[in-house]
Amino acid sequence: MSTITRPVEEYQAKDYKSDLKPIWCPACGDYGVVQAIYRALANVGRPPHQIAFVSGIGCSSRIPGYTTAYGFNSVHGRALPIAQGIKLANPDLLVLVAGGDGDGFSIGGGHVAHAVRRNVDITYIVMDNQIYGLTKGQLSPTSPRGLKTPSSAWGSLEAPVNPLLYVLGYGASFVAQGTPADMQGLSAVIEEAIRFPGFAFVNVQSPCVTYGQEDQQLKAHKTTMQPLSSLGHDPSDRLKAMALASEYGRKLYTGVLYRNPDPPPTFEAEARRRQEETKAQARPKDRILEMFRPQ
Amino acid sequence: MSDDIVIGMAGSGGDGIVSAGDAMITAAALEGYHAFLTKSFGPQIRGGESSCRVRLSTRPVLSSGGTLDVAVALNWEDFLKFGAELPVGGRTTVIYESATGVPAERLPLPGVTPWESIAVPIAEMAKKNAGTEKAKNSVVLGLLAGWLGVGRDSLLAGLRKKFGKKGAEVVQGNENAFAAGVQYAEAHPLREPRTLAAAAEAMKEGKLIVDGNDMCAAAALFAGCEFFGGYPITPSSEIMHFFGREVWKYGGTMMQAEDEIAGIGAVVGASFAGKKAMTATSGPGMSLKTEMLGLATIAELPLVCVNVQRGGPSTGIPTKSEQSDLLQACFSAHGDVVRPVLAPTSVADTFGITVEAFNVAEQYQTPVIILSDQEISQRKETVDPIDTKAFTVVERRRPTESELEKYERFKATDSGISPISHPGMPGGNYLASGIEHNERGAPTASGEVHARMNDKRIHKLDPLMRRRDLFEIEGDVHAPVALVSWGSLAGTTREALEIARREGIQAKLLVPRLLFPVAEEIYADFFRGVQAGLVVEQSHLGQLYRVLRMYVGVPAGVAPYARSGSNPILPSSIVERLRQIVLGLQRQRVAEVEPAG
Repeated sequence: MSTITRPVEEYQAKDYKSDLKPIWCPACGDYGVVQAIYRALANVGRPPHQIAFVSGIGCSSRIPGYTTAYGFNSVHGRALPIAQGIKLANPDLLVLVAGGDGDGFSIGGGHVAHAVRRNVDITYIVMDNQIYGLTKGQLSPTSPRGLKTPSSAWGSLEAPVNPLLYVLGYGASFVAQGTPADMQGLSAVIEEAIRFPGFAFVNVQSPCVTYGQEDQQLKAHKTTMQPLSSLGHDPSDRLKAMALASEYGRKLYTGVLYRNPDPPPTFEAEARRRQEETKAQARPKDRILEMFRPQ
Repeated sequence: MSDDIVIGMAGSGGDGIVSAGDAMITAAALEGYHAFLTKSFGPQIRGGESSCRVRLSTRPVLSSGGTLDVAVALNWEDFLKFGAELPVGGRTTVIYESATGVPAERLPLPGVTPWESIAVPIAEMAKKNAGTEKAKNSVVLGLLAGWLGVGRDSLLAGLRKKFGKKGAEVVQGNENAFAAGVQYAEAHPLREPRTLAAAAEAMKEGKLIVDGNDMCAAAALFAGCEFFGGYPITPSSEIMHFFGREVWKYGGTMMQAEDEIAGIGAVVGASFAGKKAMTATSGPGMSLKTEMLGLATIAELPLVCVNVQRGGPSTGIPTKSEQSDLLQACFSAHGDVVRPVLAPTSVADTFGITVEAFNVAEQYQTPVIILSDQEISQRKETVDPIDTKAFTVVERRRPTESELEKYERFKATDSGISPISHPGMPGGNYLASGIEHNERGAPTASGEVHARMNDKRIHKLDPLMRRRDLFEIEGDVHAPVALVSWGSLAGTTREALEIARREGIQAKLLVPRLLFPVAEEIYADFFRGVQAGLVVEQSHLGQLYRVLRMYVGVPAGVAPYARSGSNPILPSSIVERLRQIVLGLQRQRVAEVEPAG
């Protein structure tokens, strides 16, 4: 993140809310997520025009349009590469990426590991509802084994992806989880993720009211969620974070699972350094072809 | 004395045949010759067979030439693997390694009696003079310098430079090997001298040696490209390598992506962020990038995507040239899409085409495809100095202060081109999307808006179809016989036209550098009065011919002359077909005057 910030009091959550009316079903978890993002952005205090908000395809991928930031509602599964291109082209921007579990861990699954290791400073928020909502209720990569859906009439034969454990395993420096059932906690982890210098991942358990399971709704979250702060978890302990993450699907931990106390340099910082180191070697552009002169 | 010589050499990987070719073209450039160097390899990663063709001329050259004037075989097994790429004919001087034990009168060249065959103890001379067989290529260079009279001093200087790092002993050894080659040639004169005439003194100044991939990347930097995203794929990877070396110096960034999709995805992002951006790939990568190209079309984001064509489909022949991705370039899209496609005709032309691609992309806010091919991309050419100041660089149309007051990203304008903002610009905030959107960028499912936006996106490109400067026409304006060719085949066809016209055949040639959208009027004007002709291209289907048939009234007598890649089309074979066409037209005329009883 760059240093161009204004005093916190200058921006309020409403400054980040656009006029577009969400297409989401009433009581969808994503309403809470977008509210939490407004709040986090207001606290960070960057003006909307300095924010690029990228998504792929899915119910949750509509989210950039509901903000006043520069939005990019792109193609299915490819938000991460686009977001990295934006940040590398202009490292002064604040770059957010959001989408669903299918977008991030199925069709776009191949990009996550590389976004992590490339370590471009972007914040990736996955709204994980364990189902494909937009296409009307098929299995998603995080659907539990045995789940019956239109595409699995007899029950799913596959084990689900564990987003938290995957991203920790890829070597991410910031991994957190939240739920709109705890708005304060959710906006706090999103804000912390945005402020983290490097690739940051937030998995949000954002239930689908139409196709989701009864026991996965926000009402249930209020009793099942366990804030990591109340468990005395040390977020600098990566192995402990992985142990907690491996309970994904059985336990709903919220808060920061892992924050690398010594984060590696970002790609764009290294790129900037390389630009500085080599710029003296640049030829005037109108004489660029002289490099092809035989000696 | 000759003014144009084609040399073909082949050996196994470690023989240094290709570096001998590099040494020849460097020497040629320094001495003012025009030259082409094409390299060809077997599929092996290391070792295996390798070959090169060098064409040297006192005049500008347009193709790698036809039958070899001089063939060099370090062993016959490797030489023969290149087949039609190294054609030996009745006028060819064959120089080969005597240790192969093949008698000069029994060369393994079925059906061909070369002009002369000279067995030279190349390995033995290398060993004796340099102490190692590794110096075989220095012996070969000496032989060629001796027999052709080309570049003796420049070649020696090149050897000194190349081996300088390896110490005085290695330098001396290679100099000795070179000198032995020269002496051998002097002691064994050719049946007829093949000495290359000296180049004009004026031509020695400022010649460049560059291949198409490097030229493309350098032109992109010149045009202001600040971001490259891509994935390694033969034969385009050198474009990425160039960016990896150079782009940082100019304040830009290169990202080797995890796959082809991420490569173009990052480019789409960089363009959205306001920077000129490019990706490069070959056929299979183009297939993967297609969805992103659709996104760039509907989001009206400028970008340049280079496809260095190779033999296809699928893995096909990755190391050999073909022009079989034209249909893909024009039509691989979901939805109603018109996407500009430009093709360079030579290494030198790659500069202008690449700058033009960025200009078109930025001006019209569209992805643009550059269709290069392996031949151009990996061929080294001597290029006369290019006056870069003669090339305009276009920037995208930014919104003015007043336009930002009530900004509409996709505002309806007469030209169909709307002012484009980018993140960081206050007041320009908008939603870019792959979903259909209205003028303000808001998502919509309205058929009316969809039709209106399709119309905008397609018709904003109409002015391109009037760009006569992107078409080269030469020959006799009213000729009844026409040639059309594109890409690397354009040079070959141009040489054929010259030969044919010297024979008195009235013919003309059209070379489109803009392939899509199809400039219907320009073709209609060109084909007016044409009775017969050929569309010359390196594909099995004759893809340009097929595209033209979709949009243009191609005269019935114009037929495709199309061959799959890796089967060279020679100027002489085009001329032969033109002769047949002319004979056919004459017979037809006779038949019209004297109807058969």
